[in-house]
Amino acid sequence: MLRTTLAGLRLHTSRYVTTALAILLGVMFVSGTMVFADTLESDYESSVMGSATSVDAIAVPQEPEVDPEAGPQPPPVLGEEDLNRVQDLPEVAEADGRVEGQAVLLDSDGRAYGMTPPAAMSLGEVSRFSASEGSLPSGGDELALSTSTARETGFEAGDTVTVLDPDREEREFTVSGLVEFGIDPAYSFGGAMVMDRDTAEEMTGATGYVEIDAIAAEGHTAQETTDAVSAALAGSADVQTGEEFGLDMAEGSGADTQMLRTALLLFAFIAMFVAGIVIYNTFAIIIAQRQREMALLRCVGAKRGQVFGSVLAESSIVGLLSSVLGVLAGVGIGMLGARYGNGLVGGTGGPAELVITPTAVISGLAVGTVVTVLSALVPALRATRVSPLAALRTSATSGALDKRTGWLRTAVGVAAFTVSALIIALVLSGEPSTAGPVIVTGAALIAFLGVVVLGPLLVRGIVHLAGLVLRRVGVASKLAVDNSTRNPRRAATAMIALTVGATLITGYSVISSSLETTMNNMLEEQFPVDYQISSQFAMAEPTGGEQDEDSAGESDDGMPQAETVPEEVRSALSSSPSVAQVMSQRTEYVDDENTHLMVNSYLGADLATDMGTDLVSGDLEDMGPGRVTLSKGYADGHTAGDTYTLPTEDGDRELEVAAVTEDTGQLYGVILDPQDFGQLFPERTEDDMLFVRGTSDADPSELRTAVNDAVEEHPTVQVASMAETKNQFSEMLDIAFYTIAAMLALAILIAVFGISNTMALSVLERTRESALLRALGLSRAQLRRMLGVEAVLLCLIGALIGITLGVVFGWAAGASAMPNMILAVPLAQVGVFVAVAVVAGLLASIMPARRAARTSITGALAGE
Amino acid sequence: MSESSVRPQAQPQSPPVVVARGLVKTYETGANQVHALAGVDVEFHRGAFTAIMGPSGSGKSTLMHCLAGLDTATSGTVHLGRTPITGLRDRELTLLRRDRIGFIFQSFNLLPMLTAEQNILLPSQIARRKVDRERYEHIVDVVGLRDRLDHLPSKLSGGQQQRVAVARALLNAPEVVYADEPTGNLDSRSGAEVLRFLRDSAHDLNQTIVMVTHDPVAASYADRVVFLRDGSLVDEVTEPTAELVSARLLKLEEA
Repeated sequence: MLRTTLAGLRLHTSRYVTTALAILLGVMFVSGTMVFADTLESDYESSVMGSATSVDAIAVPQEPEVDPEAGPQPPPVLGEEDLNRVQDLPEVAEADGRVEGQAVLLDSDGRAYGMTPPAAMSLGEVSRFSASEGSLPSGGDELALSTSTARETGFEAGDTVTVLDPDREEREFTVSGLVEFGIDPAYSFGGAMVMDRDTAEEMTGATGYVEIDAIAAEGHTAQETTDAVSAALAGSADVQTGEEFGLDMAEGSGADTQMLRTALLLFAFIAMFVAGIVIYNTFAIIIAQRQREMALLRCVGAKRGQVFGSVLAESSIVGLLSSVLGVLAGVGIGMLGARYGNGLVGGTGGPAELVITPTAVISGLAVGTVVTVLSALVPALRATRVSPLAALRTSATSGALDKRTGWLRTAVGVAAFTVSALIIALVLSGEPSTAGPVIVTGAALIAFLGVVVLGPLLVRGIVHLAGLVLRRVGVASKLAVDNSTRNPRRAATAMIALTVGATLITGYSVISSSLETTMNNMLEEQFPVDYQISSQFAMAEPTGGEQDEDSAGESDDGMPQAETVPEEVRSALSSSPSVAQVMSQRTEYVDDENTHLMVNSYLGADLATDMGTDLVSGDLEDMGPGRVTLSKGYADGHTAGDTYTLPTEDGDRELEVAAVTEDTGQLYGVILDPQDFGQLFPERTEDDMLFVRGTSDADPSELRTAVNDAVEEHPTVQVASMAETKNQFSEMLDIAFYTIAAMLALAILIAVFGISNTMALSVLERTRESALLRALGLSRAQLRRMLGVEAVLLCLIGALIGITLGVVFGWAAGASAMPNMILAVPLAQVGVFVAVAVVAGLLASIMPARRAARTSITGALAGE
Repeated sequence: MSESSVRPQAQPQSPPVVVARGLVKTYETGANQVHALAGVDVEFHRGAFTAIMGPSGSGKSTLMHCLAGLDTATSGTVHLGRTPITGLRDRELTLLRRDRIGFIFQSFNLLPMLTAEQNILLPSQIARRKVDRERYEHIVDVVGLRDRLDHLPSKLSGGQQQRVAVARALLNAPEVVYADEPTGNLDSRSGAEVLRFLRDSAHDLNQTIVMVTHDPVAASYADRVVFLRDGSLVDEVTEPTAELVSARLLKLEEA
């Protein structure tokens, strides 16, 4: 039996080419992802490990127990006496500590770098970090930058940079070299500078060590040294060997790689799913065409089980061979990805050593083979039902046309759509939540099931409609229309493979563009400002505790306090002719029994017109002295007209609630009239944030100059342009869209292979028909056109159903998570999808059409 | 009978519609050559119903394919009217078949997804030719398909299917109709029906018909029978009867 199978496979190799390609591509995706992720991971690991294993013991201060009553505490440090104790240990050859604080670094435009000031530290004599380029600073006028900060600011070794000291005085340094901090996000995103010990303390006000690194004395292992250090610092520090520390770091940072791996595998799964559909259809068609062959086998005595086994054996051979090729291709792709792609995800950038784990190879082989065999299962079962008598019938394949669609099928399909619609209605009637999109995805799957079940009916219906026009175009199109519906089930399966990709890509593009429109609308209509000006945030108090009284200003009860925008900025802006309005926000916190209440006030703004926001109750017009506006989370059941009691240092203060806003709007917390705010916090004279609106006829560049001039003298003041923010946001969405489109491209390509294969097999089946048409005078070009129209029709149906599902569920998913979402269907993109479907159809028909046109008429008429 | 407007100027004074001279068709099968046609000279006259007969492998189908422009001859010439069709390229042959030749095959004559009516009208649609409604109605009535026009081929009997094919071949009044074993798959009653219809159209519609068959009874409906053996024309009978044809055929096989 196996010999028959193998002989059959050899004879029909060409029928399996596209199927094999589909499997190959899917497997390639799976193993490629594994190899890429494994390689990235090991690259990370080695870079993290490399720096950590250069020392034997690493001690970091123990985090104190979190005491909610006390509020945030300054991070703990190790003292001089801790270092001395470590240095005195006989197990330790050398040890030194790292001092770290923050300092403002000015970029080449003279503006503060980063949302928060970067870390400024001294490394000490012994450290797991070392200069990767140039040298560590050797004096008070030198500093080293982290490689990521250097890359972002464009500074190089030898450049002169300016850093602000705690009194905001500028001080110039020469960049002595670069230090690779690896992937620790605190340094790779926040930025870091290395100075010598005295300078670091001077520039940041920090004292104490955030880390002590030690090297083992001769004759002692890293573990012995670590144990000794741990004993010496008992209770105040966590001590690990360099290797343990490195592994922990690697594990934490590996999370990024893990996420990337999961995301890629998700797309690989989609590709394999589509490949499965394609394989199923191929086997189903091949089995139908080989009905006589199967029947003959049964005639000469093969049992049902043997026929079943034969088909499964065939599928496993095809699956395994294609998977082997797929794994090879995957390793190649993984290698390319690791070489050119690791910069994308924050790798070290250097060429990584390729890692091919047995898991990557085995999972590729297993996925490919199992998917193939599973997809062939139903066709194999069908093969066993062929009666031996079928061998004797003359016309085995052309048979009666299947024009029926069972009532059961219709009922199940309609039920699936109804359930899906009900779920969507239910989700949308509730509050938007993050669970919404997940439920909508579930509903989409149910609807997809409906499409699968109703597929043949949909194909017939849509072709019928399209036929009304196409039939008039010419005989080729007319024949194509008739051909597309002669085997609706086959056509439906082929087009559904494409529907998967089309649904996902349209769904995503609808969400993406709705998100963009909604955000833009929020910015433009509800809160139309041109610039937002704030101060650089000091995320944490300088380390050390003693010295921060004079540097942090009016910080109260330990809350980290954002710095304010100097009054000069406001007055400079207000006097500029290009500026129509300067609004400012002042924020203070009031202690309630258990929480800090955020109290906001807006100066120079009419809340009702300038800060339009969605209201739960009341009217912002009613705001004024003695009144309050609350965001929903703060309202605690109050509605407009109620009396709200604000606890203050001078006792409770009663205010009338003017309005309650939605939590998601611009107005948040407890909003007071400036007059009340001034009475409560008389010491507040500067603003936390300024909102600038240009005059309607202002030239954008003039406005920009006015804003830049106003902040010229205040380098730490940060300017955000709304137009830029919008652009960055669209750019971010675009990048995400193109990435996802690229990932889905493979699934779409596989589907196109499937359609091409379906066409090729149909052409094979219709050889005599094609010959008849040619004999009757259909030209080769018309024959090709006929097949082209058929393939395009299939692709278009697949794409249109996909686009419809995508728009509906994209909208539902967006609306279920985002309040007041504005549906935006990206027509241009949808147009591109449709165009892609047409091109895909034409491509899919090229090979089958060539074959059909080339076949000799007499040969085809003469024999089977 | 009026001639179709698109038909090229057929010369009424040249009676043979199809003329073949020195037709040779050689197949290469590995080392040896097989002469399917070894120099055939034959002509077919307007309004005549001719049968080509011969034992299996005598080259009857090859001869018909070469005459019809479905296959290309190795050497020799074939003229349809005044057009030499040997040497025409595929495109020109396609147009020739479309506009000037009708076909009836043994089986698989109809497209399964088209109704009987659509099948009959298919060649006209391929050619974007206006259908002569009067002729169409006449032919439909003659073949007796009036109440079967909207049926798919799978709903028609074998005889009905062949009658649809005959109607399709005759609709455009082609210069010649080639029929390849048109009754090969039919029971004798349906076969006789189709053959009678072919004979009547040759006479009533002045239609030239060339039929390949190995059935002496079928051949007896023709005006003239030509016999083929080993790729050569060896005998000819006019006004044949089934007995006469059988006897000749038998003699041919014995020789």
